[in-house]
Amino acid sequence: MRRFIAGVLSMVIAGGVAACSPGAGAADGDVKLSVWGWRTEDVTVYNKIFEKFEGTHPGIDVEYRAYKNTEYNTILQTGLSGDSGPDLAQLRAYGELQPAIASGGLLALDAAVPRLASFPAATLDGARGRADGKIYGVPFAIQTMHVVYNKKLFADNGVAPPQTWQQMLDGAATLQRKKIIPFAVNVRDDWMIPIEHEIFGATRYGGAAFEKRVLAGEAKFTDPDYVASIETYAGTSKYWQPQFSGVGYEDAKALFVSGKAAMFPGGVWELAGFRKSAPDIELGIFSVPPSPGAVLDKAVTPGFVDGSFGVATRTRSKDEAVELARWMATPEFGQAFSDQLIQISAVPGTAPTDPLLKQAFDAYTANPSPYLMYADFSYGTPPGAEVLRTNVSAVLLGTGNATDAAKELQRSVDTWFKPRG
Amino acid sequence: MVSTAPRIGRAVGVQVLLWAYAGVAFGPLLLVLLGSLRGNREIMREPLGLPTSPTFENFGRAWANASLSTYLLNSVVITVAAVTLCTVISLMAAYPLARWRFTGRALLAAYFLSGLMLPIKLGVLPIFYMFQSMGLVDSRIGLTLLYAAGGIPFSVFILMAFLRGLPTDIEEAARIDGVGELRLFRSIVTPLSRPAIATVAVFQLAPTWNDFFFPLILLRSSEKYTIPVGLSRFFGEFSTDRGALYAGLVLAVLPLVVVFVMASRQVVAGLTAGIGR
Amino acid sequence: MAFRSGRRLGWVAFFCGPAAVLYTVFVVVPLATALWYSFYGWQGTTRGAPAGMANYAAVLGDYPYQEQVLKAFWHNVVFFAGTMLVQNTVGLGLAVLLHRNPRGKRMFQTLYSLPYLISPLVVGYLWSMMLSPAFGPVNAGLQAVGLDGLTRPWLGDPAIALPVVVLVNAWQWIGCPMLIFGAALAAVPAEMEEAAVIDGASAWKAFWQVRFPLIMPAVGAVTLLTFVGCFNVFDLVFALGGSSGGPGQSMDVLGLLFYRIAFQGGVNAIGLSSALAMVMFVVVFGVALVVDRSLRRREVPW
Repeated sequence: MRRFIAGVLSMVIAGGVAACSPGAGAADGDVKLSVWGWRTEDVTVYNKIFEKFEGTHPGIDVEYRAYKNTEYNTILQTGLSGDSGPDLAQLRAYGELQPAIASGGLLALDAAVPRLASFPAATLDGARGRADGKIYGVPFAIQTMHVVYNKKLFADNGVAPPQTWQQMLDGAATLQRKKIIPFAVNVRDDWMIPIEHEIFGATRYGGAAFEKRVLAGEAKFTDPDYVASIETYAGTSKYWQPQFSGVGYEDAKALFVSGKAAMFPGGVWELAGFRKSAPDIELGIFSVPPSPGAVLDKAVTPGFVDGSFGVATRTRSKDEAVELARWMATPEFGQAFSDQLIQISAVPGTAPTDPLLKQAFDAYTANPSPYLMYADFSYGTPPGAEVLRTNVSAVLLGTGNATDAAKELQRSVDTWFKPRG
Repeated sequence: MVSTAPRIGRAVGVQVLLWAYAGVAFGPLLLVLLGSLRGNREIMREPLGLPTSPTFENFGRAWANASLSTYLLNSVVITVAAVTLCTVISLMAAYPLARWRFTGRALLAAYFLSGLMLPIKLGVLPIFYMFQSMGLVDSRIGLTLLYAAGGIPFSVFILMAFLRGLPTDIEEAARIDGVGELRLFRSIVTPLSRPAIATVAVFQLAPTWNDFFFPLILLRSSEKYTIPVGLSRFFGEFSTDRGALYAGLVLAVLPLVVVFVMASRQVVAGLTAGIGR
Repeated sequence: MAFRSGRRLGWVAFFCGPAAVLYTVFVVVPLATALWYSFYGWQGTTRGAPAGMANYAAVLGDYPYQEQVLKAFWHNVVFFAGTMLVQNTVGLGLAVLLHRNPRGKRMFQTLYSLPYLISPLVVGYLWSMMLSPAFGPVNAGLQAVGLDGLTRPWLGDPAIALPVVVLVNAWQWIGCPMLIFGAALAAVPAEMEEAAVIDGASAWKAFWQVRFPLIMPAVGAVTLLTFVGCFNVFDLVFALGGSSGGPGQSMDVLGLLFYRIAFQGGVNAIGLSSALAMVMFVVVFGVALVVDRSLRRREVPW
């Protein structure tokens, strides 16, 4: 007992001393910038990219530090309002960015980072404060959504990337006859439902054209075209894996990489993981052609801004942090980001070198479509994506219908959304 | 001896039932163990299956890449310190609450026990700001104190129940002999409570060891991380490497299983003497 | 106890002081602060103007929170009832079997308790693989024995997802009631039940009429712990069904709803989530008090 108390006391004293000693790095005169993010899988690559910046900016050390995806929001919240927080932080986009701005934890970068003016307005929307219209981060990536397919399974069964909706269904039917699952779809972890809905349904409801009208208050989610887009998406479910409602995200990916399924509707962010776990599968992507009755007459590629890098108000090295933010708006960073992380950089003047990403990026540039629930309807509580996925999953399970799902979405959005104009 | 045959039959039946449930309880764990011996590609293709060519490579990769040794050490230090501190002060508190009569006793007991119903996670933001004002962010001491505090209600609950059941005569005799309160507690009450102490310690061990929420929020430097946080980072970096992931899980839970198996006799005795009464 | 009360209070302070201080500082104060938060409007992490009961009104009265709270609350009730029915009954059954057949008792107790040592997040991950219609051995096993008709999308079937989660939860926690009931059974003098059997009662009847009433204190403790556990459940459901509680929110519980509001609840997330946390606490605390009282009255002294 006495020994224990002595032990605890000595620990407390040791801890106290440790807490009072100055932080590492301060001694050698270097400024240390800590950049927080949620990409635990990319830590090494990010730090390698930042070495370029360190090379041209002697005296500044940059460290990218990643926290678990699911807890990142909490950690960032505490970090931005505390003393032990980051100098720069990777920020979520659109509505999910607003709480951090409202807390006053981020610097507005409009004036500090002049290059932001060269970014397209739609890209900047991902980093814009709703209340004041200012830009709080340098957007880093664009994510696009497609159907990813297994080239060998397609070729072996005489299926080609479809030009029309009917070709897509015929191809799916052919695969199904040969005991190959046409689409591996994640329903159980229902966060992917709004994404899948965009992939299959965007042409049906009208993509960007509908976005414009719904934001102006001229259209509603209860309009027949939007309701039909939910039905269109749900209608593809007969080509999904058996008992699809019980299959989660990891399972759906495993079905695809194990060659049991030929297609996976999802974002370009899946490509790196697919390549890593199944290097022998040759991947292809296509954008879904317009469905019967579609408002649009050609395939569109839904996409969105993944997030941005912002500067913390409480940083102790504001000048250096802003300098890093400026660098992150240059093509030098954008191209390195694109080449080394295999992602689509949001910086203008950069292009992906990876052929698949290039295809994705070109398709998106030619015929973009918004991720409505994130880009426009993530600003209220509960966010639109949450309402949509809950109600659409009922449609998929056969316990609800598209009309009611759209009605619920509209009802929830009405509690906070004010049309422009 | 008419009843021998059915009796044997019944005994066999009972054994079958017991083994069957043992399969249910242990089967899924076995799958993780087997998974840790399989190649990653094999797992991705057939997530559940037998290892065709068992390999320990996963363990090597998990150990080398995840700095598991650092995390393991942090976890051991924090868990042992928190559980010890919690058990000692809970035993001290439970002793008068269970065995003395004084004004406010019932109220004080209820104050401690009400914590059983308070999920401490709900207070994460206040805890963070408090830690910040006390300089406890990114400190293993802070985390230790938090875990110790969080375990108090449950420990006091179990220890009180146990202490109530102890006979009072030794204590009375000692007191008449003029033995001081402190010595009484140290040399009579504490040794007598050993089984209950084991119970409380083991039941605190698992949640403390497994928690990854508070270290994520309250620790900043990776050299201070505990096993679950370390693992969760490792899962992020190696999310496509299932084999290594399983190996990491096995390594993380192994110390706990060893302690549990070693302590199980004491735990059962503690429960028997405690709640059983 | 013959020493003066003044001196004794000093000793009470000495013994209870450290625990009281630590518990107050690190548990009570943060939760009281959370209560205080719930009466303000919030701008992210910046506290805004006092909001009175507005946050409570929003969480309990406004669309769509009201519906979600009620639905989640109902799922918690089902969770509790199911856990009592499955986990605690099977736990009692195993305890009785082990009590009557002491051979290998400690080994079985250890085996049954092992799942308790694994973090709920990992348990969730493990079981979602077990139950996966794509690769899981559960459906594969059913097919292998010709019971194809019984295969299900388990966690994706809104009618059975919640019961399945109850079963997984029971799998993890069963060691707890089993050990507690086992301990209680061991403490009951065997002669009492034997006497009843000799008096002509069947073993089954003797158990329920003689032994069961004597282990009521243990039943009370287990019920209370189960109740508190079931109303605070989060990790496992999160791992099995994601933050919205699976397709159709068929396993949404209050803990998940709190998580969604706290981390995806927009600018006033702190105000709203603190209010919900307080409502949860009042419910759990209130019901726990009632459960505790009513069980205490049924205890049989011996």
